[in-house]
Amino acid sequence: MKIFQQNTEFDYSWEEVSTSNWQKYGPWNEKTPHVVAVDTLSRNVDPETGILRTERLITCKQSAPRWLNQFLGGQDTSVVYETSYVDPANKKVTMCSMNLTWNDLLSVRETCTYSPVSSAPNAKTLFHQRAEVTAFCGGWQKIKSKIEEMTVERFQQNAAKGREGFEMVLEMSRKVFAEQRELLRLQQDSQILKQAQI
Amino acid sequence: MSASLAPECNQVKERYDNCFLKWYSEKYLRGSATTDECASLFKQYEQCLSKALKDKGIDKMIKDARDDNRENDAEHMRPKR
Repeated sequence: MKIFQQNTEFDYSWEEVSTSNWQKYGPWNEKTPHVVAVDTLSRNVDPETGILRTERLITCKQSAPRWLNQFLGGQDTSVVYETSYVDPANKKVTMCSMNLTWNDLLSVRETCTYSPVSSAPNAKTLFHQRAEVTAFCGGWQKIKSKIEEMTVERFQQNAAKGREGFEMVLEMSRKVFAEQRELLRLQQDSQILKQAQI
Repeated sequence: MSASLAPECNQVKERYDNCFLKWYSEKYLRGSATTDECASLFKQYEQCLSKALKDKGIDKMIKDARDDNRENDAEHMRPKR
């Protein structure tokens, strides 16, 4: 088993980050074209704890090296199952994901969290990411290690792109929310806009 | 918002995603969510999606993943004090 982990901070509040997180792979993010679809499978709020649980299916275009892809069966997309838990009382988002494609050969289990940075809880958010990669293929220790290594390398590359892409989403989202607030303010002041019901 | 893996579900998915995002930012995070006002849109989206998942054989993979995920549910559905 190999482990990849990293911490990174975003200069946005936890509320902004946790909202934009739902749009992370949308059109505002130009850095993660390998994520081709994100579907919601179920969603519910626990009445006792207030925790929002969401199940999603994330579809990725295959970016594994060709030799590895052929070894794994040559499919062009892979799917990841993710459950996320938003705990608004404790201001914490936890996302757990696992690969559904090739999971008899390779297990990738990832846990990510978003929580306020303790030194600036209203302005900064900490992102923690940890992934455990385990390859299963009989006694072929060398191939096993190589697959694990390459998967971790891929994680490193995608983590950097993921951060850049998410920064784009956060920036756009802040802009759009500001515009909406401005429009609302204008609407309240203007009779014509009020009638137009924008 | 992102596309659906089933292109025929994109339209209803977008309507649901927009509804959810508004609810999440304006109500849920502010502690004023009482009902799930996006439920009927979700139902439409789910109907469309579940058919596609079945056709692609992904529904069985999801079922197994749910079983595998029980530990995460047990850990994270309980808030840390």
